[in-house]
Amino acid sequence: MMANYAMAFDYKLCINCHACEVACKEENGIDLGAKNHRLWIDEDGETEGDFWNLARDKITFIQMQCQECQDAPCLKACPNGAIYIDDNGIVRLYKEKCDLTLACMKACPYDARYIDEKNAITDKCIFCADTRLARGETTTACQITCPAKLRYFGDLDDEESEISKILRERKHFTLKPELGTKPKLFYLE
Amino acid sequence: MKIGPINIPLKEDFSLKSILGFEKTPMNMLVAVLTLAFLAMFVVGVATYLMHGHHAYNVTREHPWGLLIAVYIFFVVSSTGFCIVGSLGDVFGFKDYMMISKRAIFGSIVTILAGFAVIAFEIGHPVTMLIYNVLSPGLTSAIWWMGTLYGIYLTFMIVEFYFLLNNNMQKARIFGLIGLLVGLAAHSNLGGVFGFLNARTISNGVFYPTYFILTAFITGIYLSFIIMGFRYKMNFDEKTKALLVGLAKIQTLLIAILMFFETWKMLTAVYGGMPNRAEVAEHIMHSGAFMYGEVLMGMLIPFTVMLLTKWRSVTTYVWTSVIGMVGIFFMRYDLVHDTQLKPLQMMKTHEYQLPPSWVEYFPSATEIMISLGGLGLCVLLYYVGTRAFNLDEEH
Repeated sequence: MMANYAMAFDYKLCINCHACEVACKEENGIDLGAKNHRLWIDEDGETEGDFWNLARDKITFIQMQCQECQDAPCLKACPNGAIYIDDNGIVRLYKEKCDLTLACMKACPYDARYIDEKNAITDKCIFCADTRLARGETTTACQITCPAKLRYFGDLDDEESEISKILRERKHFTLKPELGTKPKLFYLE
Repeated sequence: MKIGPINIPLKEDFSLKSILGFEKTPMNMLVAVLTLAFLAMFVVGVATYLMHGHHAYNVTREHPWGLLIAVYIFFVVSSTGFCIVGSLGDVFGFKDYMMISKRAIFGSIVTILAGFAVIAFEIGHPVTMLIYNVLSPGLTSAIWWMGTLYGIYLTFMIVEFYFLLNNNMQKARIFGLIGLLVGLAAHSNLGGVFGFLNARTISNGVFYPTYFILTAFITGIYLSFIIMGFRYKMNFDEKTKALLVGLAKIQTLLIAILMFFETWKMLTAVYGGMPNRAEVAEHIMHSGAFMYGEVLMGMLIPFTVMLLTKWRSVTTYVWTSVIGMVGIFFMRYDLVHDTQLKPLQMMKTHEYQLPPSWVEYFPSATEIMISLGGLGLCVLLYYVGTRAFNLDEEH
């Protein structure tokens, strides 16, 4: 039985500790370096005030990674048909078909892809599909590491899953919905 | 030269000696030295790329396409432009333009080959691209259509050129017409690569696919002036003058339409202050590459000179066409750079720094060397072609 994996974020709980980034790199063997990341934390808002009296309380941290679009622009833009949506609803890549045209990077509205130099492909978050999901676990490295426990990961098609319940209970939004990409990452109000 | 049933009419004196036996005027020597220098740069640039990969380029996660993509576009636009100008005579039957057909079609072949030579060192796995473009085509991808159609277009251009060389005008017309249609389709798909970028409001929409065809025609005419100036050493006979005066008149009209297009593109982009679009348009309009490169060199100078001289001073237009081509280069560079100017997210990659307002990019030395190498390759191929084939009209 295949799942339809998605993720929800109680994003206001984020303390910007970057444990998710470290866990992701460790779990999935991502190259070191600031530019090599499958997920990252955006800041919405700026530090206010003058020196000695700086206020950072207006800043919101937003968890960013591939939005697992159901109508993915990267998939449409790839000239080689290298990008596909797998049985678990995750946007994946046939590594042998990637020619590094970088059309997917240019087409992605969320800046989710980067060049994985080790494998010479464009890489992005795949919900730990090659590691944790492949081992039969149904959690992601970022989710179990998050000290604020703000990430909910699970099967959208299973009405009893934690993510389905929380999406029923709480208001949520997706990023750039006007583009019609139908993301499967939800941000809880 | 005969290869089986294929007869390629080479010039009788074609040899290494004839290639090296050009007139040693200061201008010819300058072009020769520059071409050799560019070719040497190409070798150094490619070697650097092969050793360091994309690290040799200044492209980043936020700005994945850089100078080499711009130069590729520059060459393929030039190719389509040459094809349009070449088709005026041998496809559409305008007799005045027949004398440039063979030369322009040959130009369309060498420019697209130079473009392919440059893009081969931008794409990470060019061989994988060739294999999987065929085995698992991405039919929703404008790049797939563009690449495939350009491949077909190149084949038709070569066949058309073959028939032109053999004075088989009927077959040249058929292959020329199909080649032109395929080339226009390929070229508008290249515009579609940018037009399909829903996430980038400055680029998304119908503008680029149509603008590409228009600017291709303009580029083709600029290049026609340059190659005819080179061919006749600025001493044009009456027939050539009539051809160039006709092209200058068409060019004035086309540039006027382009200025109209650009004006409305910028006005609609700025109007209403739509986030992400208006600020990017304003940023573009304040850049030197746009104002001095695209507008002044690419449009205003050639346009004004042609209007003021009332299409009579064709030798001047050869020089304004060189200026125009510099402007066309900036059009391509800006097209690639400007569509990546605006960060898609607030990319805070370093702690205790504000996220950048604009994505910065300036090409690396390796990118510049490979790009100039493409130009050198183009000039070399064209020059060898002038020595190997009779590119003038035969009676």
